[in-house]
Amino acid sequence: MTQRILLGPQNPRSNLRQAADAIDVNGPIVVISAGWRDSEGEIEELQEELGRPLEDLMIYHRAEEIFAREPELKALHRERQDKLQELQELYRMRLGPTIAAARKLMRATAQPDLLRLEQRAAIAQVRALDRHHLRRLQAIHQDFDRRRAQLHIPAATAEREAVQRQVAKAGLVLIAGGHVAVLLNRMRLFRLGDELANKPLIAWSAGAMALSERIILFHHHAPQGRRDAELLDAGLGIVRARILLPHAKTRFDWGNRKRTALFSRRFSPAACCTLDNGSLLHLEDDRLVSTANSFVITRSGQKRVLTPR
Amino acid sequence: MNPQLAQLVQNGAPAPEAVDAFLRDHAFPLVEPGNVTFVYRGAADEVTLRRWISGFNTALPMQLLEGTDLWVLTMDLPPRSRFEYKFEVVRNGGRELLLDELNGVVANDPFGANSVCQGFGYERPDWTLPDSEARTGALVQLPLASAAFRDQREVEVYLPARFKRSRSYPLLVVHDGPDYLRYADLKTVLDNLIHRLEIPAMIVALTQSPDRLVEYTGDPRQAKFIVEDLLPLLAEKFPLMDDPAMRGLMGASLGGVATLHTASLFPRHFGQLLLQSGSFAFSDLGHHQKGPVFDPVVRFVNGYRKNPFPLASKIYLSCGIYESLIYENRSIVPLLQAQGMQVQFEEARDAHNWENWRDRLRSALTWLFPGPLWMVYE
Repeated sequence: MTQRILLGPQNPRSNLRQAADAIDVNGPIVVISAGWRDSEGEIEELQEELGRPLEDLMIYHRAEEIFAREPELKALHRERQDKLQELQELYRMRLGPTIAAARKLMRATAQPDLLRLEQRAAIAQVRALDRHHLRRLQAIHQDFDRRRAQLHIPAATAEREAVQRQVAKAGLVLIAGGHVAVLLNRMRLFRLGDELANKPLIAWSAGAMALSERIILFHHHAPQGRRDAELLDAGLGIVRARILLPHAKTRFDWGNRKRTALFSRRFSPAACCTLDNGSLLHLEDDRLVSTANSFVITRSGQKRVLTPR
Repeated sequence: MNPQLAQLVQNGAPAPEAVDAFLRDHAFPLVEPGNVTFVYRGAADEVTLRRWISGFNTALPMQLLEGTDLWVLTMDLPPRSRFEYKFEVVRNGGRELLLDELNGVVANDPFGANSVCQGFGYERPDWTLPDSEARTGALVQLPLASAAFRDQREVEVYLPARFKRSRSYPLLVVHDGPDYLRYADLKTVLDNLIHRLEIPAMIVALTQSPDRLVEYTGDPRQAKFIVEDLLPLLAEKFPLMDDPAMRGLMGASLGGVATLHTASLFPRHFGQLLLQSGSFAFSDLGHHQKGPVFDPVVRFVNGYRKNPFPLASKIYLSCGIYESLIYENRSIVPLLQAQGMQVQFEEARDAHNWENWRDRLRSALTWLFPGPLWMVYE
């Protein structure tokens, strides 16, 4: 059984030590802090918290160095990123009106039997759009992988393999939060999914999101007005059947039950789990064995304390 | 009459103890949807409510409530409005301006303090209050020998929490910066918005003028001071992003004029401008009536109105609807928009004061410098 612990933000109080103490570590502890971008590798605080030596994989900086050496790979990568960005814009254009219709129906009053079916159909349309978007994203990644395999760049390949070996030797991998798209991008670039799938992991915030099957960006209190939650991409798929929601306490509009219900039903059957400061989800493979300070959003939009089943 | 006051006097003149209890048990002024009632207690020949509101009668007489020593006044007030006031009390031939002792909400400015009337539904934004979870930035002093003014100036510089010399940061330069710190809680606001990822970690230079009535009214030395004295020094001392889009200039009132004037002498040097209640006085015909201090302002604004041109990529403006400058601000918005700049204009049910400017900082800063919150989950 592979131990995986998911945490919320580590500020203001860290529960990383508590998580690490729950795992038998046989081998070096490596860190992925690519989500911190320019600050990648500044792991002194983590080291102090755990009281053990840590090695940062430095995949954000390594990728930058590889791009500087391999212009073809850089161009291919840029092309993919541009496509992903453009596709996200197009998805948003469709998502806006589709989700607005679902939201309106969630608030509507009508004969219950009529309304229920219309609500279900409206949510199904949002789900269909998310599925479509996911397929389109996967096609872009597959195209990148195919063309990447055709490039003759042995030094970059050797570096990727060196990072994979480093993960293979690790007794525990810590995946920090930060910029979720950057983090996911770098882990994909170094093809860490397979190696990480069999490793004891502790991941927090964006790190946890990146391990899930679908990464959902959300913020109900964005300063420039309402923004609908959107599917960013598929994650590494190591944590299954859960949508992970860091900072949910402050980012969710908990007073708006219809909105939270729509969110939950949109991503069902995945369980929408909150990850706030102090949250902890301990999984053995896919089985939840213990939890702390985490909630799941029910179909009716309420918070229910997440407990192992 | 306000229903709570009506209840107090429903059986005739209340006993002094009943008045004591009434004052103790209620928050003042008495706020209801659509109106507000002010209460002053004390012996007086006359009591007037002095409102720092423009476009309305700023002095409203209060009425003595029969059989009591309470002076009361009810006035209409739209929801979420806010303004500052004092009581003018006349007694024994003397006249004095007093804070409302029954109202603990007070706003400070460089001229002293005022009581604050918060209309129905107004709440002080939580992001203006210290958040124990937010890491705090630091303020450092930066002495500066100004070639433009031929004197020595002192600038305070805000460095965000977790500031690192190895990174590079956007820059915001603030006119009347120390006043923004003192009266508009700018440091708390920056700490909170950066903590919430609503704006990026940024460096903020807080400038202050010893003679703003001259230097902020269209004085070319002020523009040179900002661009030729201050910016190079900041670039030398701090890791700044070398991109106009990552450089902002802001100010309120005459500080707004200084901001716009600097941008007009050094167009596109600052990609982002933040103008709060800018004193953009102009005259369409004849001489303006605002006094000699405004002569250079009117010359500048009239000149810009005659020959407008792009100044920056984005301009955010705000103005209170209870200040006379709403006319000038509403007038300049379409002119700026017509130059192809992105312009955001926000009107507030507030007046010409620091807390109005404080309450608009989130919408202004997050529009000009959007933070990474959508993608970052720390």
